[in-house]
Amino acid sequence: MRVGKRLLPLLAAVAILQVLFRFGLPGVWAGIPRFWDFENQLDIAQQISVNAILAFGMTLTILIGGIDLSVGAVVALVGTTTVYVLGLGGVEAQSTWHLLLAVAAGLGVAALFGAFNGLCAATTRMPPFIITLATMWVARGAALRFNEGRPMHVPEQQTLFLALGNGRVAGTVPIPVVVMGVLFVLTAVLLHRTRFGQHLYAMGGNREAARYTGIPLVRREVAVYVLCSLLTGVAGMIHASQLYSAEPASGVGFELNAIAAAVVGGTSFTGGIGTMGGTLLGAIIIGILDKGLNQAGVHYSFQYMVKGLVILAAVYLDVRRQSKRA
Amino acid sequence: MVEPVSNESLLLNLRGVTKRFAAITALDHVDFGLRRGEIHALLGENGAGKSTLIKVLGGIHVPEAGTIEIEGRPARIRSVADADRRGIRIIHQELSLAGNLSVAENLYLGREPSRFGWLRRGKMDRDARALIAALGLEELRSVGATVSGLSVAHQQLVEIARALSTRAKILVLDEPTSALSDTETESLFATLRRLRDQGVGIIYISHRLEEILRLADRITVLRDGRAIGTQDTSAVNQRELVRWMVGRDIVDHFHRPAARAGDVALEVCDLWGPKTFGASLSVRYGEVLGLAGLVGSGRTELARLLFGIDRIQRGRIAVDGRPVRIAGPRHALDAGIVLVPEDRKREGLVMIQSVAFNLALPWVREWMTACVPNWRRRREIVGRAIRDFGIRASDPEQCVGNLSGGNQQKVLVGRWTEHRPKILILDEPTRGVDVGAREEMFAILGSLVAAGVAVVLISSDLAEVLAMSHRVALVRDGRILRTALAEEITLESILAELTGAHHDESR
Repeated sequence: MRVGKRLLPLLAAVAILQVLFRFGLPGVWAGIPRFWDFENQLDIAQQISVNAILAFGMTLTILIGGIDLSVGAVVALVGTTTVYVLGLGGVEAQSTWHLLLAVAAGLGVAALFGAFNGLCAATTRMPPFIITLATMWVARGAALRFNEGRPMHVPEQQTLFLALGNGRVAGTVPIPVVVMGVLFVLTAVLLHRTRFGQHLYAMGGNREAARYTGIPLVRREVAVYVLCSLLTGVAGMIHASQLYSAEPASGVGFELNAIAAAVVGGTSFTGGIGTMGGTLLGAIIIGILDKGLNQAGVHYSFQYMVKGLVILAAVYLDVRRQSKRA
Repeated sequence: MVEPVSNESLLLNLRGVTKRFAAITALDHVDFGLRRGEIHALLGENGAGKSTLIKVLGGIHVPEAGTIEIEGRPARIRSVADADRRGIRIIHQELSLAGNLSVAENLYLGREPSRFGWLRRGKMDRDARALIAALGLEELRSVGATVSGLSVAHQQLVEIARALSTRAKILVLDEPTSALSDTETESLFATLRRLRDQGVGIIYISHRLEEILRLADRITVLRDGRAIGTQDTSAVNQRELVRWMVGRDIVDHFHRPAARAGDVALEVCDLWGPKTFGASLSVRYGEVLGLAGLVGSGRTELARLLFGIDRIQRGRIAVDGRPVRIAGPRHALDAGIVLVPEDRKREGLVMIQSVAFNLALPWVREWMTACVPNWRRRREIVGRAIRDFGIRASDPEQCVGNLSGGNQQKVLVGRWTEHRPKILILDEPTRGVDVGAREEMFAILGSLVAAGVAVVLISSDLAEVLAMSHRVALVRDGRILRTALAEEITLESILAELTGAHHDESR
């Protein structure tokens, strides 16, 4: 279908990168023999999971013509909030209820930020870029309030929470990858198979048209930012779990990686165009690139440059393709 | 002048509707009656109250006084939802479609067929196809096509289909043909007549008198917020209508400027561009050359080529007999060529800035030397343009976006008169401009021509092109078919040429 056709170039890019890193360039570089090892591929999936989950939420906001720059800071804030609540009551009081309370607190804080971002964006004339730039600093500051800005360790008894970032299902697939997969399916279904999703496309395509056809803009917009923040909350917990601690200074620049995944995946910054599948593939492309360049021993300074140029090239090709269609 | 019609036969009946905004009375005790199965034109200059009246019908404005009856029963319309429930459908001037979505998705925007929130895409496409077939809009072949890829005319049809997808009693169209070509307009009219015969009451707003005389059954004229009267179309002619609208006699709003053709100003030889395929033409000083063609025939593209916006692939351009190289608007301006673009909002004016800002914009080099602004010089430039062109702004610092379409157009033309251009290209100078402002626009054009400016005039209104130009170049498919003296051709004689034989089946 229409959606599938748009994803073909991205799938091709994934395949090309996979082959390139496995076999290299004939006569120049021999490639990485173990790149296609099952473990190595799982590793890539594991490493992209946090970014992909953030990018799912980011896609929703960009799709309605908005943006959420606060996700990196909210990752840190959710981590610190959750781990702080986990640590309450001392080592003896650790129980499953305690964990649920901590998760609820983390997601609650995230939802609060999302609701604020969404309400501001929907009911004031402030641009989402500025709103979320501001709430980014607020969230970062709030995260630094905990433990005087120093990292907080996750209590060792919280095996369930630690498993979220480090465990494996059936001893093979990392739990973050499973979470990513589940959230991908949920957000993709929401976007492509429900009226709600259809309304987001309408809002991004022509906000006035959406208004005149009676789509409740404020409710939809708040919902989008809350969803984005909740996904950020999940990502923040995985991140804290992977680090075995909550670090108030972590998550810097995560929003930019998420935006990169979304736009490489074909999400249009003007709104109204983009798919969840595209975003997932965008995250995968960036993930393969990171891993491959790393394993090829490319200095990290060059990694940054290559990544930047790849993003530029991907978006250029997409823009050109779209202008041809119009 | 309102004829005695019994209330029961009226679909919509407005009595004494009054709407004030602060000190301004936008609608002053307006009476208006719409019958079942009629096309009723609403006529008036900009600011006469047409759009306020529509917004009252659409529930966007709530009137202070007066009653609205629908099918003889009093109706209160206090919100968009109220109007919708009562079967009133309004198609606004600006298209309100989501270009990124398909035809079907746009038709069911906001009320997508669904089950517990789950989108039923298959049902949506089937319903859309059935709806289009029922309305007889076969032009919209594929309901899966993305709307941004459709022509403006087809997008207009999507709007109409959407308005009629739920049971509509009253259909209101605001300037629906301003972006349509003549053939597209004809097909729209056919659709409207069919709807009328099905019993829909249609309120039709347009500046184009000729169009209204052809389409409407009755005409109501608004002036300064008051309903001046209602007449059967068969009982009036164009001149009476204009007098009625403007409140004074405009003897002949097409008066061609006297020809005083001098030397050849611009000579174009075998010009090729992205959508221009070997165009040749010439214009003399003090002459108006009309480019007559349908929308999409390549007139605008030719103008863009001459002004250096699109890249010239091949061909020669000479000004005053000397060849010039035009690789950008700067080159064109240096050669004395000025383009007043078609889309005022997008290509012409900085809408959020003041009248003075826009007038002084092309002359920054004149009033700002070495980064030091010379405000007195700027005031001179701005003042002269406002005076010479009769731009009606309360203050030079007034935001240009708040002016009427006619005044915006005057700002756009007036900004180029500080140094009179040799060649002035006007692309659709009268689109969305009312009769009075149009008359002024042509007076300005006349004085420029009298002063020796060579003018290239582009307009979708073929009658206007024929009446205003000395010579007419017929444009089709990016080519100039031939050039003729305006006196020697008639609208009927060129229409077939412009449409082309292969378009005949759509007419």
